[in-house]
Amino acid sequence: MTLFDLVYFAILLLYVLGTIFFLAGAFSRQVALKRLAGYLAAGGLLLHTLILIHFLAATEISTLTVSYYIKLFSWCLVALFFILWWRLKLEFLALIASPIAILLFIFSFTHQTAAKMPPDLAGPFFGLHIGSLFGSMALLAMAFAAGLIFIRLEKKIKAKAKLSDMDRDMPALSTFDRVNYWAVLIGFPLYTVGMLTGFVFAKFAWGSVLTGDPKEIVSIIVWLLFALLFHNRLARGWWGRRPAVWAIGLFSLAIGSMIIINFFMPTHHSFQNRPGIEQSVPTPPTNK
Amino acid sequence: MNKSLYLVGLNHTTAGVEVRETFGLADCLPGRIIESESGAQSVQGEEQQIIPLGGPIDELAILSTCNRVEIAAVGEQDACRDAVLARWAAARNADVEELKPYVYIHEDLDAVRHLFRVACALDSMVLGEPQILGQLKDAYRMAVKAGTTKVILNRLYHKAFSVAKRVRTETAVGSAAVSISYAAVELAKRIFGEMSKQKAMLIGAGEMAELAAQHLVTSGIKDIYVANRTFERARELAAQFEGQAIPFETLFDRLHEVDIVISSTGSPSAVIRAKDVKAVLKKRRNRPMFFIDIAVPRDIDPDVNTLDSVFLYDIDDLKEVVEENIAQRREEAAKATAIVYDEADAFGQWLKSLELQPTIVELLERNQGIAHKELAKTEKRLAQILGRDVAPEMHEALEILVDSVVKKVLHEPIIFLKRRSAEEESARRYIDTTRRMFNLDDEDIPDDAHADRRRKDIRDDVDARENDLGATSNNGA
Repeated sequence: MTLFDLVYFAILLLYVLGTIFFLAGAFSRQVALKRLAGYLAAGGLLLHTLILIHFLAATEISTLTVSYYIKLFSWCLVALFFILWWRLKLEFLALIASPIAILLFIFSFTHQTAAKMPPDLAGPFFGLHIGSLFGSMALLAMAFAAGLIFIRLEKKIKAKAKLSDMDRDMPALSTFDRVNYWAVLIGFPLYTVGMLTGFVFAKFAWGSVLTGDPKEIVSIIVWLLFALLFHNRLARGWWGRRPAVWAIGLFSLAIGSMIIINFFMPTHHSFQNRPGIEQSVPTPPTNK
Repeated sequence: MNKSLYLVGLNHTTAGVEVRETFGLADCLPGRIIESESGAQSVQGEEQQIIPLGGPIDELAILSTCNRVEIAAVGEQDACRDAVLARWAAARNADVEELKPYVYIHEDLDAVRHLFRVACALDSMVLGEPQILGQLKDAYRMAVKAGTTKVILNRLYHKAFSVAKRVRTETAVGSAAVSISYAAVELAKRIFGEMSKQKAMLIGAGEMAELAAQHLVTSGIKDIYVANRTFERARELAAQFEGQAIPFETLFDRLHEVDIVISSTGSPSAVIRAKDVKAVLKKRRNRPMFFIDIAVPRDIDPDVNTLDSVFLYDIDDLKEVVEENIAQRREEAAKATAIVYDEADAFGQWLKSLELQPTIVELLERNQGIAHKELAKTEKRLAQILGRDVAPEMHEALEILVDSVVKKVLHEPIIFLKRRSAEEESARRYIDTTRRMFNLDDEDIPDDAHADRRRKDIRDDVDARENDLGATSNNGA
């Protein structure tokens, strides 16, 4: 067990404890418990940040592992959650954000020894590709969480159902809608940047913008739907349930495609160990 | 000399509204009399005042609202109670026997509990309502202004306020809305959150709509439109909220501007139909709307609720919400009562300790304790110097020495205390001061808790004194 293992373990423990205490606090309506949960998670985030910075400083960008990127994604989620908590007092997103972040974090260990990013998938340009896409995914995750809570609360208010104590503690519907708004407003441009850098990168690396990779196709579909949502939200003033449902759908599609395609399908976005990739550069990968 | 704390009063459960009107004391509050003296108004006859203290009554404070009259008094046992009742009846030109059947009288610990319950609104008609605490604070301020409260009532009221605050933070007894108009506003908050950017429209100018609008204004809404069939009434109501009256016919031209609609017209058929709202929604680009229909028969087509981002509550829905909230408050009241009993017991302890004899005994014991501790230390040192244990005779002599020093030192303060307590007025104040000075009550209480409470006492006292000064300077001018 190295020092790093110990730190990883500490981060995970802090996140898990934070989630448990938050749940307990939310159900028993104890503010002190929730505050404690906040401190625990913040401690985890701090360690998480430090370890990410450490690896970034200690290794070449080109040699960062897939594991690193998944940890970065989970970091994005937790950091975003804290920003939303701070700005919109939306602590209830913790119910969704922290479990996803924890799963991702655990998930990153399954790739602890997996392939390093191939050298062709490296460099600052690639960093921008990954960073902007992860950023917009984290935003979508928040919109997903806010959307689930919104739909539940809205249904109750519309049906005039009895609100539980926990429902009463929740912020107003419009606050959850605002999460969706910001996620769409910032998330879509970020996603677009991620897509563009990906295409430019593909042009340089493989000579063609479109390589027919399944990940590319799904991403373009997601982008189109995202664009539609962006338009409806900003130009047509969508509010409430519809954008919430869309955000839920988009996030599910994006995450689903990431898991299915990146692991089970032949693609140059694969997280699987691909020893042959170095030789195949710069010819475009063939889809078997 | 036996002093007691009394709470004499009547409320909505013991007396009907006529009796409450007859025996209300709103014009006889202690501070009020001073105010009217300073004003140009003619001074009321002395016989109408309950106040000037004296006779068997040492301290007094009166709370008089439309639902209750409560007189807290400290004075000689029995005589104080009878005097309060007699003066109360006299102030209303009635006979004591007319008043008696409606009155409850609580003594000492029961009185403390009752006042705490009142402060926490556990005794109110609407459980947990917030106004009573403000009224109680006003009543106390009046009494302070008139100088009719002293050690016991000052502490009692300060404690009552802090108990009320504790109940408010630790239980949900005052949390959910229990009036229809307020429940509507709570729902609006649940949808829109911050209300400062929202606009509202009143359609029809019923009383309940007016109340709801009032609540909307207090929760931050700035723009209110009023549409009414008689334009004059609309203008009247709009002026009340600094809103804008609009002709009833132009209602649908303005509907897209508002987020909250409160409807209470006497119309026999629906005023707003789903297809109207659909058009309005298009105009306002789907931003959410909340319709509150408090009219019977209903003004707004129930189908409106099926539209996306539109919420509709009618009077029955609101009534249901209110009933649920009341049930919830009742559950919380049990928790609140436990807190009240707890705090009342603590206050009762303090009340008991204000007697002279126990204070003197404690004072001596506390100081003798210190002296003996120091003596033990000295004897240890003596043993070192002498090279052997201190002889029993020597120990005895030393003990007599320290004991008599303590007694001699405390002799004058004790004589002073005894002399003061022979004077009716100041006894408790000096006993209280002595207890604080020698820290006699502090044994189990953590330092900071006590400091906190004391600072609050001082702050409130200063507050009251400032009011006092304000009043006197007004008099001067």
